[in-house]
Order: sequence, then C-alpha cells, then structure tokens
Amino acid sequence: MALLQISEPGQTTAPHQRNFAAGIDLGTTNSLVATNRSGTIETLPDMQGRHLLPSIVHYSKDKILVGYDAEQMQSSDPMNTLSSVKRIMGRGIEDIKGLSNVLPYEFDGNSESHVPRIVTRQKKVSAIEVSAEILKTLSDRAEQTLGEKLAGVVITVPAYFDDAQRQATRDAARLAELNVYRLLSEPTAAAVAYGLDQQQDGIVAIYDLGGGTFDISILHLNKGVFEVLATGGNSSLGGDDMDHDVGEWIIQQAEIKKMDAILSRQILIAARKAKETLTTAESTEISIKHESIDFTITLTREKLNELIHDLVDKTLMSCRRVLRDAKLDRKEINNIVMVGGSTRVPLVLEQVGEFFGKKPLTNLDPDKVVAIGAALQADLLAGNKPDQDMLLLDVLPLSLCIETMGGLSEKIISRNTPIPVARAQEFTTFKDGQTAMSIHVVQGERELVSDCRSLAHFELRGIPPMTAGAARIKVTYQVDADGLMSVMAEELSSGVKTDIVIKPTYGLTDNEIETMLRDSMDHAKDDIRLRMLAEQQVEAKRVIEAIDSALAVDGKQLLSESELNKILAARTELIHLVDTGTEEVLKKAIKKVEQVSEDYVARRMNASVQKVLSGKNIDQVDV
Amino acid sequence: MIQLDLKKNFFELFDLEVDFQLDQKLLHAAQQRLQSTYHPDRFISASDHEKRISVQNAAHVNEAYETLKNPVKRARYMLQVGGLDIQNDHETTTDTTFLMEQIELREEMDECRRCKDPMRACSHITGKLDQRSKEFSNQFEALFQQGKLEDAKQVSKKMQFIERILEQIDDIQIEMEDGLF
Repeated sequence: MALLQISEPGQTTAPHQRNFAAGIDLGTTNSLVATNRSGTIETLPDMQGRHLLPSIVHYSKDKILVGYDAEQMQSSDPMNTLSSVKRIMGRGIEDIKGLSNVLPYEFDGNSESHVPRIVTRQKKVSAIEVSAEILKTLSDRAEQTLGEKLAGVVITVPAYFDDAQRQATRDAARLAELNVYRLLSEPTAAAVAYGLDQQQDGIVAIYDLGGGTFDISILHLNKGVFEVLATGGNSSLGGDDMDHDVGEWIIQQAEIKKMDAILSRQILIAARKAKETLTTAESTEISIKHESIDFTITLTREKLNELIHDLVDKTLMSCRRVLRDAKLDRKEINNIVMVGGSTRVPLVLEQVGEFFGKKPLTNLDPDKVVAIGAALQADLLAGNKPDQDMLLLDVLPLSLCIETMGGLSEKIISRNTPIPVARAQEFTTFKDGQTAMSIHVVQGERELVSDCRSLAHFELRGIPPMTAGAARIKVTYQVDADGLMSVMAEELSSGVKTDIVIKPTYGLTDNEIETMLRDSMDHAKDDIRLRMLAEQQVEAKRVIEAIDSALAVDGKQLLSESELNKILAARTELIHLVDTGTEEVLKKAIKKVEQVSEDYVARRMNASVQKVLSGKNIDQVDV
Repeated sequence: MIQLDLKKNFFELFDLEVDFQLDQKLLHAAQQRLQSTYHPDRFISASDHEKRISVQNAAHVNEAYETLKNPVKRARYMLQVGGLDIQNDHETTTDTTFLMEQIELREEMDECRRCKDPMRACSHITGKLDQRSKEFSNQFEALFQQGKLEDAKQVSKKMQFIERILEQIDDIQIEMEDGLF
C-alpha cells in the first residue's frame, strides 16, 4: 500500500530515522505505558480503550493472564492471582512477613539467592518474574500501537527505592528483554510532565502517594533543568494500607472470627471499592457474603478519615523531613503537584493543602503523569529531540553506609547527594599476610546496621600479602544515574586491583536470571502467533488511515461513485475485522482493499507526476 | 567524547577564583553547565566504555560541586589546595577555651529535650551556633588570605564541630516534630 502515500519529488517520506521509545510506569496497583505518537506524548490504551493495566498476574496450570483478565480471577482464585508484588521487589523473606496482611500468598524462601518465591499452581515465581510479565504486556502494547520495535524504555521507580529494589526492577526488565535507557524516579518523572505542561520555573513539591509507596520530592525547575533538591518517603506505605485499615474495621464490625484467603481477598476488594466511592460520596454501603457470613454496613467519609488519619500523618512527617533536608521553608514551595491514585482521597488532598498552606495542583491526571514524564525522557534519550535541552539531575534517596566494629554503620555517601557520585575510602590489613577482606554495605539513616537495609557483602580478594597495616586498600563506591551502586578496590602501594565477589543480600544471581530467561522461551511460540496477529492489526490500521487521507484529498475527483463505493465497502469490512479477525482473515481483508483501490493508486500517481511536470520544460525534469 | 580534565582543582573546574567567599549562583550555574555536557543521559547510545567514563566524569563534577557548596568542606579543600595534608589528620583541636565551649554546647543541647518549649530551646541554640559559624568563617578567610594555613586549619576544625552539632540538633528537632503530630 506504499503507493498511496505519495510525497512530492525531492522530499522523502521519512525525513530522519526515529528511534521508538516508551516510558513505563510500573506501579503497585496499576501500570501504564506512554510514548510519542505523531508529536504528542500520550499513554496507550489496550484494544478495549483502557489505559491502565492492573498490576495483577494470574498463574493457571499452563497459562499466564495479565491485567484485567487476571483481576477477574482475584476473588475466585486468590492464591494464584498475584497483585501488589512491587511491595516485595528487592525484599527478603523476613521483610515480607510484616506484609502478610496485604500479600496473603504462600512464600518459599529456599532458593539459590534468598529471593522469596510465591508458590502458584504453575510454578514458584519471584516478584521479579511477575513484574517482567507486566513489563512485557506493556511493551507489546507499545510495539503493536507503533508497529515498530522499541529501541529502549525508561522505567520509573519510587524515588525512595533502595539499591536492591532498583536492581530488582532492572532484572525484571532484563527478563522482559527490554533495553532500559534509565530508571527514573517517579516524582522526577511527574515533575518533567508538569514542567513541560506549565512552562514555569520555580520550586515544586511532588507528593506521590501510590498503591504501595509514598514519595515526596522537592525539585528546582530552571530552564529545562530538573534538579532534585531532596527526596524522602516510605517505600512501604500507600493506598493498599488504607484498604487494609478499612478491612480491619470491617472484620471487627462483622465480628468475623475465622478467616480464609477468599474471604480476606473479598474484604480487601470491598474495602478498596468503598474507599474509592468515598472520594465523591459522603457514605457508602459495604456488604460481605461468604459461606455463613452475610453482613452489610455503612461507611461514612468521616469514619474513613478517622481510619486513615495516621497514615496521612506519616506522609506529612516525611514532608517535614524533606523540607529540612532541602533547607527550605514550606512557604518557599511555589507549587505542589499531586501524583498517584491515592491522592484522590479527599483527606489526603485536604491535609497536604493545609500543610503547605496552598492548594495542591490536581489538573494533571495523577494516574498518567508519571508514565508521560517517563516517555518524555525516553524520547529525549532515544535522540529524537536533539534541539531540546532538558537535563534531569537526581539524588541518592538513602545514605550509603558500611558496617564497622560493633554493628555500627558509617556513612560513606549521605542521602540527597546528587548522583552519579563516587567516594573513595582507604582500608588497611590488620593481620600479617592478610589477602582478603569483606565489606558489608547497607543503606539507611540509622546508627545500627541491623536497622538499615543490607545491600551486599563485598569480598575483596587477591590483596598482596604484606605486614599488618602496610597495605593501603582504596575502595571506591560509585552510584550511577540509575541509583545503582558498584564497588571497586585497589591496593595503592602495589597498584594491584583486587577481585571483588559480590553477594547481594536480596538479588537474583546471574544463574537464576538465565534459567528464567530459558523458561520464558518455552512460551515464546504462543507469543509469536500473537505478535503476528498484532502486526496484521497494525498494518490494517495503517491501510485504513492511508485510504482515508488519500480519499480526503482527491477521492471525489479521481473516482466514479461506484468505484468509490467499492473501496469504501472493502474499507468498512476491514474496520470490522481489525479487533476480531484472525491473522489470516485480516491479511485477506487488507488484500481486498488493496485490490479494489489499485486503479485509484495508479491514477493518483499520474496526477501527481503531471502536477510536478506542468509548467516545466522537459530539460528541467530530472530523470 | 570531550575528556574532563581531572587534574584541575575544583575551583578551576568551575572557572572560579580560589576564594572562601564564592558566589553560590555562579557555582550552581557552572555545575549545571558541566553536567549538561558530561551527564550519562548524554551518552545513552555510546559505547560501554564511554558510558563508564561519563558516569565517572559526572560523579567528579558532583563531587566538586558538593565540596565547594558546603562551607566546611570548602574550607578544608582550600587548605588542601594550599598544600596541607588534610586526609590523614586526626588530631583534635587543642584550644581549651573552645573545648569548654563544646562541652557547654553539648550539655545545653541535651537539656533541650527536657525544656518546657523544646523547639524554642533548639532554635535558640541554632541561632547561637549560626553566629559562631559566621565568626569562624570570617576568621578562616582572613587567616587563609594571610597565608597562615596552619592557623586556618585549626579554625576549620571548629567550623566542622559547629556543623556537627547543628546536624545533631536537626535530628533532635525531627524526632520531636514526629512525636508532636
């Protein structure tokens, strides 16, 4: 159908090579993908026009469902329907125990690397694999819409994510076989979308309360530079916890004594629905029916406010800290931008407004703004906007420390230090002939190592043997632009680079990732068929678009009425088949459209050539 | 790829005079100018080697920026540029009057928590410390300009001490604020 798109001689159809890139907001509750479609950055809907993808994956014996399809299995098959797994990214089995009320799954901590696995009917899966399924679904959506392969993506993470959580997100992308340009902090992404929307410089606070995480970042916006001044939050606080508070209240009111997984999920779903209804309504009815239980109760907004008050207070605590870190008074904040679905809760809006003494901005869709910001950054990093001068300068969210004598932590790099950053430290040996030493790196603000997050044990080997205290080992800690840490070591007097063996506390080993990648190849056959269908769908849409724009220009002039009707009939048929037809059927329908418009294409060619030739002598025409 | 000159001292890197009184706005602008050249976001499709270099370059610029932005770090760095060995310097101040003042300040700080109005007590100490810190800064600047680096080093230690106490008061205030709400 290429002939329908005629361009003037001397102009090419593709003025420059474009790299297709997308921004992905991998959320606790919902995920989104956004990309640049003909000049505007927008989030992409699925075939049914839905932009959000519930971050839920269902594992049946031989199938994996993602999103709305998985959501439907939630109450009937709760143990195999995995939601909110973002909360266990980069976490150990001990951390998860405290979350058992939000994540009622069966866990298995016995793996090569201590990454907890959730037991499902199909297999034991880590949060990383579950996240990879969500990422795959979204990147497929983007590739189908664009009709092109993605050159790279920007994936957002909560600003307050530590190194292990960021690494886990990177690993998920690797499993989904995506090229990650950058991990971007969610509030920074929101600030980018806000900044380009408002075209206004100043100090902005981004209050981002999602399903399972809370971030507060303060940024300085100045002529395209987005500089994070300070960031803070709680990577385990969000709308899920509100649902849980309401759920507890329901259990108490209904005097439920015996809980099971299905009832527990039903209560959480009811609690969440009630919370959402109360964003506009003053009161709502909750009913729970399960086995012998048949219970109905009214929840008022006032009661909801009471139930979640502590949670909102906790977020304001972080706001105070972050202002202190940024050395700013709340009056100096020019605007507050609300991000994340949980900021729709009226109490949140009200309390944040009161805290900053200013009405927060809510004109950007709190669900979409992060994905849009990420897509803007992705488009820029892909090199599609060489003329736009945008720069994002982020910070380290949590201090990087090492363990010293007595289980105490010693700060190496303080929180809110701009990244990338590198710091060096010198050690010496304390025994004659010592050739190895171990460094335990943790992240956090507390004095005791046991109160911080353990990141990894680095074992330095191959130190040249010397007398005690003679070796001078320079250890360099580096944090890159993704907020990921690496360590290098060198013995200074001999110049010997020491080998470093990294034992991440909560990360997957390379071995495990490879096995997972192999496993996913087995599913690849199904994927290929789906991909081919998707390609035909894209092609069909392209053909329809081309026909429409051609007809709009010269359909009336070049075609008789019966010819026009024939083309239109074939076009209508194709439109009907786009969403329902198989790959074969679609191929035929596309062919039909091409056949009936063959003459038309030829006439357009002639007309276009004549237009160029008219008024020119033969010797002026380049052949 | 343009190679960042890692041998330049931090002042040269930002095109600034070696002067304790530096213009924070100029420093900030210079940092952003350099980052817009060296930040890893500018090297997304470069080779792995170039990517690594760009992380190192950007980290170097940030290190320089953080050092010059903070008055205590700036003072210590100036001494280093002046030729003093700061790194392996673990001796504490020998100024007994200042040692007494330290002890008093620490006691006052510990008592804050028990005060009727702890927040006000904290900001009272903070006010006092800010004043002291200004005095020390002026002393440092004068001594440095006269080339009395060893004396300037002693003053820089006092500045360091004041900064540490201010940080601790910050922690107390955060703790109290969290308890109040």
